[in-house]
Amino acid sequence: MNRSLSRAIVPIALLLPALWLPGCGGKDEAVITVGVAGPMTGDQSKMGQDFRNGVELAVEEWNGRGGVLGKKIRIDVNDDQHDPKQAVAVANKMVNKGVVGVIGHFNSSCSIPASDIYAKAGVPMITPASTNPKLTEKGHPTVFRVCGRDDQQGKVAADFVANVLKSKRVAVLHDKTEYGQGLADEFRKSLGTRAEVTAYEAVIQGDKDFKAVLTKVKRADPDLLYFGGVYPEAGLLVRQARELGITAPLFSGDGTIDTKFIEIAGPAAEGTYLTFSPDPEKVPTAKLFLDAYRRKYGPHGPYSIYAYDAANILLAAIRDAGTTDGRAVSKKIRDSSFRGALGEIAFDPKGDVRTAPYVVWITRGGKFEEIASKPAP
Amino acid sequence: MLVQQIINGLTLGSVYALIALGYTMVYGIIKLINFAHGEIYMIGAYAGIVSMGLLTLLGVPPSLLPVSILVSFLAAGVVSAAYGVTVERLAYRPLRQAPRLSPLISAVGVSIFLQNFVMLSQGAGDLVFPITFPLEGISFLGARITTLQIFILAASVLLMAALTMFINRTRMGTAMRATSQDRVMAGLVGINVDRVIAVTFAIGSLLAAVAGVLVGVYYGLVNFSIGYVAGLKAFTAAVLGGIGSVPGAMLGGVLLGLLEALGAAYISSEYKDAFAFLVLIAVLIFRPQGLMGSADGSGEKV
Repeated sequence: MNRSLSRAIVPIALLLPALWLPGCGGKDEAVITVGVAGPMTGDQSKMGQDFRNGVELAVEEWNGRGGVLGKKIRIDVNDDQHDPKQAVAVANKMVNKGVVGVIGHFNSSCSIPASDIYAKAGVPMITPASTNPKLTEKGHPTVFRVCGRDDQQGKVAADFVANVLKSKRVAVLHDKTEYGQGLADEFRKSLGTRAEVTAYEAVIQGDKDFKAVLTKVKRADPDLLYFGGVYPEAGLLVRQARELGITAPLFSGDGTIDTKFIEIAGPAAEGTYLTFSPDPEKVPTAKLFLDAYRRKYGPHGPYSIYAYDAANILLAAIRDAGTTDGRAVSKKIRDSSFRGALGEIAFDPKGDVRTAPYVVWITRGGKFEEIASKPAP
Repeated sequence: MLVQQIINGLTLGSVYALIALGYTMVYGIIKLINFAHGEIYMIGAYAGIVSMGLLTLLGVPPSLLPVSILVSFLAAGVVSAAYGVTVERLAYRPLRQAPRLSPLISAVGVSIFLQNFVMLSQGAGDLVFPITFPLEGISFLGARITTLQIFILAASVLLMAALTMFINRTRMGTAMRATSQDRVMAGLVGINVDRVIAVTFAIGSLLAAVAGVLVGVYYGLVNFSIGYVAGLKAFTAAVLGGIGSVPGAMLGGVLLGLLEALGAAYISSEYKDAFAFLVLIAVLIFRPQGLMGSADGSGEKV
């Protein structure tokens, strides 16, 4: 019994290394791995799932055409739980696994610390959604973003508030995160003296009760509420503002553009303004992507298309560079221009996109829609 | 503004108080801090959302709002009480003769288990309550109180009054008080101590479930992690009022809610939570037994 058992175990034990070797994905293997990172669980998990779907779709298309550099592409999805500490942990994990590049993260507070890890290892990072200016101001040559920046976004919002809404008394709120406070501050800076900021308050991300802050805001008697933050708080904030009898409209950023915002806020969501990029449904180059996405996953999320383009840019740069060496690929990304679903994308020396066309959206009839008319200069 | 902040604080505080009662009653009887209590509250909120969803699906018209709320209270109460009693039976009763630290660790384990259980079975995202209350309210003294806030305050006061009556006027209440004074002696005079403990868990869980549904309707959304912060705040409220004391938990909850609202309004909204805990530390330094706890640890605890 003992002998026969050991006779069976030895060949299995010998086989084991052969079994796991193909899975470990070193650079000489027939598979290359693209990392995806974002909040895959928790209250912002919708955004992380949108990322994953966008990248998955792009990778499937590439694999259907035979992969890149003769290798198949695999994706490695990582959950940063919108927690900066967790983001650094998954960044280290992916770098150790030898990913050829990372699409992520979602939150600026995660992207900024994680970018240091990728830069040190020379792994290209393209974020589809982190808009805080600090990310590309650090001067890492391997960091890129396909979305805009909060200073651009804050300016578009401030111009609209001053020129179109003609608000005079603005209350500014933020969620104390890199993204939220950053955006709120950029908005305030751009607004300058064109309107008076009558209240400047913070809320805590993950909190549910904002009535105390809002009561304070109400006394400042604003004709507009500006909120730098993400949709769960934005939804609760506008709902509780209406309960307290604050009638001023809410103006928020791209972090709020999610249908969950409307679900949470209910009727209070009506008339909320947002800054975001133009509706992909109106971009002619996006049609193929949108159709493919709809067939596979259903309605697209606000950042699905950005994740899709980011993955395509990374893979095209690998193809053109003829290598998976991160620094060579990064140089290629910086020097080329790409035709993506969003249109022409080219990067400036910092790694930001050259054109970031933010427009103002409004919530109307339970849906987000782009406001057609451009604000007068 | 002061009146408005007091209304905000009272609403929040009465919910804290409902959850704190569960902590304090269990502590009064078996000297255990039931760290899984926050999760029982979260499960109550989920049970409420699911039953409301079912009612909407069955075609109960929105005009029957009071009926569907009542039904979801009952459903949430039953589900949470079942969870509470089961947790006690499986995780605490086998450890009753063990050192006091063992059930405490067991409680932390149950809390982690329940949180992950709900996350895996119900999904990690936010669930939105299917009904919405009208947003308008009554204005007085320059403040606004919504129908929902009135409802939360009324429900909490009613439940607390009922609990006080139950503890002081019924046979079971008398048995609970006796068990809290001396468990061994209570057993010797013929009280079924295990049953008393089970009933205590059931009542505590029921109150937490009601709080869960109230909060769910109030904020409109629920996720698997809401039990953590709510449990922490309610535990703080129980300690503030004097853990083991029922009136103490009520006072502690309301006080904590008021402190948070007023702290956010007059000091800093960024340090809202820190402010509440600072007051707790101050109370514990000058009155370690809490506001209404008895100094020598003896006397009626329930």
